[in-house]
Amino acid sequence: MATKTHENPELDMTPMIDVVFELIIFFVVTLKMATDKDETVRLEDGKHGIILTPEELPPSHITIDIAKNGRISMSNVTMHGPEITQKIKQRVVKYGTDFPVLIRADWRCKHAAVAEVMNACTAGGVWKISFVAVQERKSGQKKTD
Amino acid sequence: MAMKSNRKEQEQPKLDMTPMIDVVFELMIFFVVTLKQDDIFSRLNANRPAPNQNKPTDSPSDQIKIDIGPGGFVLNGRGMSKKDLRANLKSLSATSKNATVLISCTMDSPHMFLIEALDMCHEYRMENLSIFSM
Repeated sequence: MATKTHENPELDMTPMIDVVFELIIFFVVTLKMATDKDETVRLEDGKHGIILTPEELPPSHITIDIAKNGRISMSNVTMHGPEITQKIKQRVVKYGTDFPVLIRADWRCKHAAVAEVMNACTAGGVWKISFVAVQERKSGQKKTD
Repeated sequence: MAMKSNRKEQEQPKLDMTPMIDVVFELMIFFVVTLKQDDIFSRLNANRPAPNQNKPTDSPSDQIKIDIGPGGFVLNGRGMSKKDLRANLKSLSATSKNATVLISCTMDSPHMFLIEALDMCHEYRMENLSIFSM
């Protein structure tokens, strides 16, 4: 009886499946965390704006983040007025002036930083600007944390 | 009789609960992670006149002027609270739907006030918004 089990050992798949599940969950969680926006930005409420669905934005759109301390960034890369103007100009050549420009500015930042971004946009030839606000807080994240 | 009971034991081996508990835990973790909802965002559209363009000094009747400073709002030259501004904009929007709203912000005013003003304008369907900086 003992020799028979030695000859045909049954392969237990359970730990392997467990590990595979762990890996899947790990990648799902980490992929969500790696975002290209400034996570420190806290937005003001704006219940009456047009609902913004990130999936419906055309690929031509541009998002500019402004942190609490006035740091201006695009895709988490710190930028200044002239660099933003350069980026806007590149897009104007490619898509015309009618692409969405979204400003995600922290509610605590001073208008000076917002003005710098808006001036950079107009210098690049774009007049229409959209500010991002929070329509409804669902993630449980508060305005100040 | 003794043989029969022995065979019965062999037919119904003890069910190992460990993998099932493992899978249930995995599923729980998965749903906890995925059920975290995102905030719903909104966009507030506005126009930004060119920096070299001077602020219009004439104020026709269909122009609403909101000044934003570090202390709060000034509507058509009258300082007021957020609540009063909302009430005033509501009555103004009823009389002049297509009014141009000129919002001028001082450099040291918090961005919060601008968003609040833009939100109110969107609430009362005033879509002709221009933002100036002073």
